[in-house]
Amino acid sequence: MVLKLVKILIFPGFSFLAIYGMFLEYLDRKIYARIQNRMGPPWYQPLADFLKLLGKEIIIPADSNKKMFKILPIVSLAAVASAFVYIPVFGNTSSAFFEGDLIIVLYLMTITTICMFLAGWYSRGVYATIGSVRTLTQMFAYEVPLFMALLAPALIAKTWSITGMTAFYEEHPRYILINIPALFVALISGQGKLERAPFDSPEAETEIVSGVFVEYSGRLLAFFKLSVDCELVLVASLISAIFLPIMTDIAVLDFVIYLLKTIGILIIFSLMRSIMARFRIDQVVKICWRYLTPIATVQIIINLLIRGLLTL
Amino acid sequence: MKLLEKAINWATRKSPWIIHYNSGSCNGCDIETIDALTPRFDLERIGIIQQGSPRHADILICTGAVTIQTRDRLKQIYDQMPEPKYVIAVGTCACSGGIFDGCYCVMGGVDSVIPVDVYVPGCAVRPEAIISAVQKLLDTIGESKKKRDSNAKSLADSMNNNNLTRGMKNNTENNAENNGQDGGDLCAS
Repeated sequence: MVLKLVKILIFPGFSFLAIYGMFLEYLDRKIYARIQNRMGPPWYQPLADFLKLLGKEIIIPADSNKKMFKILPIVSLAAVASAFVYIPVFGNTSSAFFEGDLIIVLYLMTITTICMFLAGWYSRGVYATIGSVRTLTQMFAYEVPLFMALLAPALIAKTWSITGMTAFYEEHPRYILINIPALFVALISGQGKLERAPFDSPEAETEIVSGVFVEYSGRLLAFFKLSVDCELVLVASLISAIFLPIMTDIAVLDFVIYLLKTIGILIIFSLMRSIMARFRIDQVVKICWRYLTPIATVQIIINLLIRGLLTL
Repeated sequence: MKLLEKAINWATRKSPWIIHYNSGSCNGCDIETIDALTPRFDLERIGIIQQGSPRHADILICTGAVTIQTRDRLKQIYDQMPEPKYVIAVGTCACSGGIFDGCYCVMGGVDSVIPVDVYVPGCAVRPEAIISAVQKLLDTIGESKKKRDSNAKSLADSMNNNNLTRGMKNNTENNAENNGQDGGDLCAS
């Protein structure tokens, strides 16, 4: 019982998630700065931002729904933290797993986006409302290809559990190669999920200030920023667990490999963010539905055929 | 409790988020402010990020003399910022009204509407001066009020001893003479 609590709250649970999220944010900003030929922030920058926001005044707009305004950042952070429990970090099994936890993780990931939409909607600002509408529109665009891409490898593994999938692909490493188109789709739509450039029109700073977070300040903004960082870790770990299940049986070595894999995925995300300009919201929908969804559909058909051949 | 306060003071010094507002400037100081945010100066090294929303910002960088049109908006932006908040008046016009002082539509400097923490004179201000002003402001965060007052007093004393005003007066006189001579030369040629 105590061991379970330590696993969920400290390592590899919430505390590790928060610290690693801040580290990845630092790395992301550093890579972004180096590509622009700058020095970039010092290593403690995300921590300093977080602590500073904790000490600031909280202003709640008079028109907003006060209860929802206060509760949404915490719900969003809690959803990410509880999704992270099902992802294998230390060793090849996660802190908790059951048949079907992949679906749970995908739905918990959706809750954070819904929280952002509601945060913008309830704060009643003009920019916040536009931002929340765009968040929802973008969600309908990226969600289908992302889910299809993440569920396609599960068809071959014949299990809906992330731990089960890593175990299957550890036994049959050649099947990883089949899922490469799905990895491609997952990386691009994952960028859309994280609302980073080129898919950052929901919080486009030059158009709508900062989208749904416009009215947030102080501690509430700090929790939202932390949940965005944690979401980055979650998506990177999910992609690395499903598409790159390189595993040894030594737990510490597995942990090091996990760190290397997530940092590698983050570097791809950062490069995408720094070299591309922002798409308009209609262009995002077009890209996701016209290009990514057909690729994911073909992937699912191929995986179904391979699954049929395997059972013969 | 004291440790937490120290940590938050440290974090406030290390992560100043700025918002830039033009309250009636000629755009000279605005160009220099944007210049200070370019990769050449790389303000992210000392944690500065430009924010669009006043709710996220700690420091209001205000350029230009305050006109009647922008007075209410400046006040509104200042009120929207969460505590602790600081104001830097960038440019001679923001400090005192500059050459626009006494104009029918000008209220005066930024301090005629909202309290100002740091004044940066110059027309237009150099980006280095803005960065230095932000750094000087951050150094005072966490200091006790007594210490800050004594610092300000010693600064004022040193300025009085240097007789800055008299020096400036002499300069202007010299300039006037020079100008006269120049004018004469121009006529002769």
